[in-house]
Amino acid sequence: MQREMKKPVWEKIAASPRTVTVVWVIGLVLVWEAGAFAVEAVKRTPENVLPHLYQILASVFSTKKVTASQTAVQIVIINACVTLGRAGIGFVIGAAAGYVLALCMRLSGAVEKTVFPYLMLVQMIPILGMAPIVLAVTRDIDKSRVIIAAILTFYPVAVNTLAGFKSIEKEKFELFHSYAATTPQIYVKMMIPASVPYLFTGLKISAPMAVTASILVDTLQGGGGLGCMLSQSLKHAMSIYVFWQIVFFSAFVGILSYYGIVLLERIVSPGRRNQTRNAGGAK
Amino acid sequence: MKKIHITNDSVKTVLYPLVFGIILVVLWQTQVLHRLLGADTFTLPLPSRIGSIIADNFGVIMLNVKATVFVALSGLLLGSLFGFILAAIAALSPHWGMGGLTIATAFNAVPIVAVAPIFTNLTKDFSSDPNVRSMFAKTLVVMITCTVSMGINAYRGFTELKPFSLDLMKSYAAGKWTAFFKLRLPNCVPYIFTALRISVPGCVISAMVSEYFAEYIVGVGRQIRESIVLAQYSTAWAYIVVACLVGVGMYVILLFFEHLLLKGRRIK
Repeated sequence: MQREMKKPVWEKIAASPRTVTVVWVIGLVLVWEAGAFAVEAVKRTPENVLPHLYQILASVFSTKKVTASQTAVQIVIINACVTLGRAGIGFVIGAAAGYVLALCMRLSGAVEKTVFPYLMLVQMIPILGMAPIVLAVTRDIDKSRVIIAAILTFYPVAVNTLAGFKSIEKEKFELFHSYAATTPQIYVKMMIPASVPYLFTGLKISAPMAVTASILVDTLQGGGGLGCMLSQSLKHAMSIYVFWQIVFFSAFVGILSYYGIVLLERIVSPGRRNQTRNAGGAK
Repeated sequence: MKKIHITNDSVKTVLYPLVFGIILVVLWQTQVLHRLLGADTFTLPLPSRIGSIIADNFGVIMLNVKATVFVALSGLLLGSLFGFILAAIAALSPHWGMGGLTIATAFNAVPIVAVAPIFTNLTKDFSSDPNVRSMFAKTLVVMITCTVSMGINAYRGFTELKPFSLDLMKSYAAGKWTAFFKLRLPNCVPYIFTALRISVPGCVISAMVSEYFAEYIVGVGRQIRESIVLAQYSTAWAYIVVACLVGVGMYVILLFFEHLLLKGRRIK
C-alpha cells in the first residue's frame, strides 16, 4: 500500500482497471477502423461489409428517411419496442414458471425425480433451432416470441433456484424445527429468501438469451420486430445502416439486460450476492 | 464412492422420468396432446410418422448432420483453443489480461443473430465455393461463442489456486513458467470442463443459428427452417429430433470424457 502511494499520477492512472478497459475499447475501435479501411480499398460497396464506425454513428443522427415515413433510428426504436416487449413478457413468465417448478421439486421428491432429467435434457437440446416449429404450431409470431423466450428463461432459473434450495445448511432447518415452525413458515422465512441470490444467477444467464431468442424469432416472419428489419435490411429492402444500427443496438441491449438484472439484484438483496459466479455471463 | 446396490430410491430415479416420458409419447401418439395444445397432426405430426421420415431420408439427414456437427466441432475446437490461449496470456499478465477478459464477457451478451450476418458478409471473398465460405463464416461465429466461456473459466482455473500454493512454489524458487506448468495448468483442468459444459450445447445452437444466415443451404438448423417455409412440417420435426439427438449425444460424450479424465475432481 505504502509503495503505491508514492507512485506518480500517470502510473496510478495506468494501473486503474477503468483505464485498462478504456484502452481495450480503443484498441478494438482501432482494429475495426483498420478493417474498414482495408475493406474500403477493395470493395465497391464497403458499407455492406464493414462500414466505418463514424458512418454508423452518422446514420443514427441522420434525418434522411429510409422508408416512406421513418428515419433509420425511428425504425430501430419502434421495432425494438415490439421485440423487447415480447422478450420481457416471456422472460417474466419463464422466470415465474421456473421458480414455481423449483419450489415444487423441493416440496416433492417424486416431482424432482421426474422432472430433473428433463430439465438437463432441455439444457442439451438446441431450443433456438426449434423456433420455426413453435411458430408453425402457434401460428402467431407474438405468441412464439413469448414462448421461446419463456422456455429459454425457464431452465436456468429452475436449475439455479433448486441448487439454492439445496444449498441451505441442515442446521438452519434444525433451528427452525426447534422453534416449532410450520412448513409454510420455513418456506417464507428461510428458504425463499435464501434462494434469491441463486434466482438472480439464473436470471443473469437467461436475460441475454431471452433478447437473442426474440430477435431470432422475428427473422422468421414479416410483420415488425428487430429481427424482421434486420433481415429486410440485409436483403437491401432499406438502408444497410439499419442493419448496422440493429447489430450495435442488440449488442447493447444484450449487455444492458445483464447489467439490468445485476442492478435489480443490488436493489432487492443488497450485499447478499451469490458468490458462485457463473461463467456464462460477465463478472 | 458408494457400493452399487439397487435401492428403492435409485429405482425411482430411473422409473419416474421414464414413465413420464412414455406417458408423453403415448399422449402424443394418441393425439391427446394435440387437443391440449390446439394443434393438428399436420403441424405436430405423430411420433411414428416422424420416425418413418427419419428412416426414409436417413442419407440426406446424415449429410446435414455432418455439416452441422463439422461446423460445431471445428468452431468449438478453435474457439476453446483461442480462449485458452487468451486466458493463459491473461493469467501471466493479470493486469491487462483481466481487462481484456471483461471486454470479452461483454461480447458474450451480443446476440448470435447480430454476429452471424456480419461474418457471412466478411467472408464473401474467402473462397469461390459458397459451401466452403459458408462453412468458414459459420465456424467463425461458433468460435466466438466458445472463446468467451473458455477464456473466463480457464482464467479462473489459472488464478483461483489453493491458498498458499503459489507461495509454496515461490519458496521452492520456482520460476513463473514452472509455476504455470506445475501448478496453474493442472489446477485449470476441471475449469476447462466447466467451460465445455457451457460451450458444447452452445456450439450446436450457434452452428444452427448461423446456418440461417449462411449463403449455402445446408445443415440441420437451416433444414428445419427450409422445411417449414415449404410447409413440410413432418420433415422439420424429423430434423428437430435429429438436432436434439446430436445435442444430447455430444453432451454425453463430453460427460464420458470428463468422468474418464477427472474422476471426481469436478468443481461444484
